[in-house]
Amino acid sequence: MLSRVANSLYWLSRYLERAENLARMVEVQRYDSLDNNPSQTPEENDWKPLLYATCMEAIHAEASERSGDTDVGRFITFSEANSDSIRQCVAQARENARMVRDQISEEFWRELNRFHLFVASDKAIQLWSERPESFYRKVIEYCMLLTGLVNTTIPHDEGWHFIQTGKALERADKTTRVLDMLAYQGEPQRSRLASALRSCSAFSAFKAEYRGNFSLENAVSFLLFSPSFPRSVRFCMRQLDHHLHAISGSSPGSFTNEGERLTGSSLAQLNFSSIGNVLQVGYHSYIDSLQEQFNQIGQQLFETYILLPLEIRSLRQNEPPHWQQHQQQQ
Amino acid sequence: MFSRYELGHFFDEMYRREDGGAFEHYKLLENRFGELDAQALEAKQLLVNEGFLEEGITFTVYGDEKGTERIFPFDLIPRIIPHAEWQQIEEGLTQRIIALNLFLNDVYHEGRIIRDGIVPEDVVRGAAHYRPEMQGVKVSKDNYIQICGTDLIRDDSGRYLVLEDNARCPSGVSYVLENREAMKRAFPQLYSNYRVRPVDNYPDILLDTLQHLSQRAGHAPVCVLLTPGVYNSAYFEHTFLARKMGIEIVEGRDLIVLDSYVYMRTTQGLVQVDVIYRRIDDDFLDPLTFRKDSLLGVSGLMDAYLKGNVALANAVGTGLADDKVIYAYVPEMIRYYLDQEPVLESVPTYLAWRDTDRAYILDHLEELVVKSANESGGYGMLMGPTSTKSERAAFAENIRAEPRNFIAQPVVSLSRHPTICENTSIEGRHIDLRPFILYGEKIEIIPGGLTRVALNKGSLIVNSSQGGGSKDTWVLHS
Repeated sequence: MLSRVANSLYWLSRYLERAENLARMVEVQRYDSLDNNPSQTPEENDWKPLLYATCMEAIHAEASERSGDTDVGRFITFSEANSDSIRQCVAQARENARMVRDQISEEFWRELNRFHLFVASDKAIQLWSERPESFYRKVIEYCMLLTGLVNTTIPHDEGWHFIQTGKALERADKTTRVLDMLAYQGEPQRSRLASALRSCSAFSAFKAEYRGNFSLENAVSFLLFSPSFPRSVRFCMRQLDHHLHAISGSSPGSFTNEGERLTGSSLAQLNFSSIGNVLQVGYHSYIDSLQEQFNQIGQQLFETYILLPLEIRSLRQNEPPHWQQHQQQQ
Repeated sequence: MFSRYELGHFFDEMYRREDGGAFEHYKLLENRFGELDAQALEAKQLLVNEGFLEEGITFTVYGDEKGTERIFPFDLIPRIIPHAEWQQIEEGLTQRIIALNLFLNDVYHEGRIIRDGIVPEDVVRGAAHYRPEMQGVKVSKDNYIQICGTDLIRDDSGRYLVLEDNARCPSGVSYVLENREAMKRAFPQLYSNYRVRPVDNYPDILLDTLQHLSQRAGHAPVCVLLTPGVYNSAYFEHTFLARKMGIEIVEGRDLIVLDSYVYMRTTQGLVQVDVIYRRIDDDFLDPLTFRKDSLLGVSGLMDAYLKGNVALANAVGTGLADDKVIYAYVPEMIRYYLDQEPVLESVPTYLAWRDTDRAYILDHLEELVVKSANESGGYGMLMGPTSTKSERAAFAENIRAEPRNFIAQPVVSLSRHPTICENTSIEGRHIDLRPFILYGEKIEIIPGGLTRVALNKGSLIVNSSQGGGSKDTWVLHS
């Protein structure tokens, strides 16, 4: 498979997963802010952790100063100034898909294109302002439909593994961001915990596992370490490990490139850690170090599969690479 | 629907001028559309347009920073060509592509046609797309043009004339295939009643044509389609063809030349490429040989090509064959190489570099269409009858300064075809026809081609960049 094609499939999948997770996070946040304490401005009260967790604080401050629009929901959903808004993510996913139309099924392309046309339309803004929950549900539903189409209409070969790689890495990253948001202000209220879990679709699964015993420790433990919940960081890293081995053909437990090695190492850490290890270093540092590992893994995969050895050398010497990794890791 | 149709003073594809009746091969269509009211027609049109948009069958508008994509307007009333008429077209096009290929092979080697005084040497060497690098180079199968799109028009007596040959990277074939899909969905019964010859095997023939060029023995040929990238206006077509052929679509950055061989970079390492169906012009192929600032091409590609390690379709230097001055000599070429009379006539052409012709052109600017020899897409053109005085003055000056660069032709009033216009009224609009000719082991022409229609009232310009649309073209079995 062409390196550029692998790169596009990987990013197409990351952007879709990003859009879905943003939609989940914003919708839960919006719903919570309905129970706002009226004495606080919305910015102080609820939206700040979300901006922090999505790394959009600075760019939002700048954009709202320029446009006078402080609405965080609109910023994360539609803003042109925000290269990671849901609208931009879908446009990016679609742009990547356009470059690899020969690799994806016609159904997948058509639905993704329809998704893009919808999110880019004025109709979408209208629906969003009238019935935001319907809008976000529609975004999430499109993403789920596309996930299904990837699994049922595209051959499960190398390209598919690159799609799954992007998805697993992005999902792991987004779950850590939800955790970051949660640990932002010390021990959160029960309702906040419930929201965070809901934004990962983890509410029922968590309740079943912990018999409704809501605490920050338990929620973090579940979202980091659950061996069976598909959005837990550990689960995602196991998936990532699996797909990377499928791509390289090397056997599980070994590694043939740096990306595989880092993934295996992260996975081992998650497999054999408990909440005690997290508390030792503190929530924030623990999550920070995970996110740093994810970035490293992304970079290493790019160097292994996309760049030529020649170009890596010039990259190391800080010359601008002939072939930019034009997409962004957040 | 056709009751208020006005014929005008042109050849009409559907209605006879003598008595206003529909030609025999249009009668079924007249009946079927007669059953539809404006509302039903509009509903069908909306459905088709929505389908195109959702499938992403769009082109990018140049000069628009946001990269806006538009659908190529599609008209629901198909153009119908009877069997016998098509046979004649096919014969004429076959003859033409053979002659053009013999011509290219000749001028890039011995130059007999120049020595024998048929085509002046200056005209050949002075053409913008003549490539001195190709002089004496043997190309795969000694064949230059594998894919040709020749534009045909019909004059006011209904005679088919060749307007121009597109021997570099003709585009539009994806619309031929997609238009057909749309028509089969919108009018299944009508389509099947007509017994139309299918077009959907084009990608298979194209792949055979490309594979035929491979010069590596004992190895399944690796063919790729080289695109300028996602912002090119024809990008949809590039992905469409690559997908239908099952070959890789590559950009310049996906290819690398090592020791005069071309490779594509894959996740599993480098893979050698045998044949490149390039959809970028010569100028951008290789920054080492042609334009230094080209980011689209591949450094060293020409070196590999000249050594015969990779084949290109079309060959480098075919732009010479679609030069508008060379065009005037094609009938002579057919006589010279094939000893035959041209089956399809050309539009009479005045060459500004000939003193007598130039004087005539300058005196008759108001009646003529003046074309720059090397522009395409309807640019660099003066439509005499509708031009302003200052436009004519500017062209006159350019013609005097660079006579080699201009030709002029009388205005040929393109034939008209009933077309759905504003408020779903049906009016006559001017059309042309671009058949696609493939020349591999043998010559194959898919029945029909792209019928382009000038949607603006009275306009003769059918290019998509300037208000053109298209129709499905039905060639009948018998």
